[in-house]
Amino acid sequence: MRNSQPESPVSSISERLSGADPRASMTQLFESMRPDLLRFAHWLARDRSLAEDIVQESLLRAWRSRDTLKDRGAARAWLLTIVRREHARLYERKRLELVSLDEALDIQAAEKAAESDGDLFTLRHAIMRLPIEYREPLLLQILGGFSTEEIARELTLSSTAVLTRLFRARNKLRTICGMAPAPDVSASEVAP
Amino acid sequence: MSCEQAQLQIGADPSDHTPGLEEHVRDCAACRQFREEMRALDANIRRALERPPQLAGAPRLSAAWRPWALAASVLLAMLAVLSVWVLRPTDTLAHEVVAHVREEPDSWLHRQHVDAQSIDDALRGAGVKLDITSDRISYAQSCWFRDHYVPHLVVQTAQGPATVLILRNQRVNARQTFHESGMSGVIVPGPQGSIAVLTRGGAPVEMLAAQMQQDVRWLPDAP
Repeated sequence: MRNSQPESPVSSISERLSGADPRASMTQLFESMRPDLLRFAHWLARDRSLAEDIVQESLLRAWRSRDTLKDRGAARAWLLTIVRREHARLYERKRLELVSLDEALDIQAAEKAAESDGDLFTLRHAIMRLPIEYREPLLLQILGGFSTEEIARELTLSSTAVLTRLFRARNKLRTICGMAPAPDVSASEVAP
Repeated sequence: MSCEQAQLQIGADPSDHTPGLEEHVRDCAACRQFREEMRALDANIRRALERPPQLAGAPRLSAAWRPWALAASVLLAMLAVLSVWVLRPTDTLAHEVVAHVREEPDSWLHRQHVDAQSIDDALRGAGVKLDITSDRISYAQSCWFRDHYVPHLVVQTAQGPATVLILRNQRVNARQTFHESGMSGVIVPGPQGSIAVLTRGGAPVEMLAAQMQQDVRWLPDAP
């Protein structure tokens, strides 16, 4: 007896669906966003293969609940949100460790040889080393285009807490770029 | 709106144009300067985020390009020698850091990692904490430097050992690069002092310095 095919990830769905199928355009839409999702997941997870797993799982989830996406114009934000939650689930499940000093040194030293812009290299490294509570809102804001209020909703934080975290994230990066750090803000953070 | 509120808003979103902020920035030169700096930084952050680390791959050179690559390497070596001469230390702090490290040549000979207790001992009395537990710290001492005890660490990297001095009481306004006595390094500012990272070999001092800036916690009550 042959088993029926499981629901396929987007990459194989695209092969099965014809252009006339309304699902095909959805598949195309998802596929067109894969590079953005992968980049976002990579910055979150700090690991390329983990990011690919996260994106694949996220696209499967998105495909299963595609009917809830009413406005295609909101697809990007919707997918980024799914990726973020998938990363958070994985993070909680596996208690992923931070990139260690030693790993970072080895990986980054090899990379530096191929990097032409030292400042960008330093900045990339610094962003990668930001604690997740600072990195996540920064990525949502810059890569995702989310507003402070949207980030606050997604992270279940107050808007003030999001502002504080974004400020601190940039302040850390500012210091690393050789500028004098701004005085830390006194706004109190609200715990997630 | 106070300067603190304005800087919080600017730091959180340098492109923010809310009327209250605009009004404050119009009348406050310091916050206007801060916003310009943060906008420049943000542009760099956006460029940096375009490509995550590790996605980069070093392009392989074909055989035809190898002689050119060799010539380029020679040229780079010459430039490196020139830059060593140009960037020789004029700063006293850098000079004293190098002199201090030269007084402890054995520090680079250790290969066994030191335990957490020894690291704590080196940090004690210096007014700093370290958020790393690296098994590549092979030397940790509390040294007397410019009338204060400072942690003197040696971190083993794939490119050789690097020395880290956490200088709580030595402030610098901006990053300083130096080369002296066969050592090269950088001194970077911290909230309440500075951090010097130097090497005799090819250890990635810039990266290590960036990491230390994140990993060092400056305690409010220094001795």
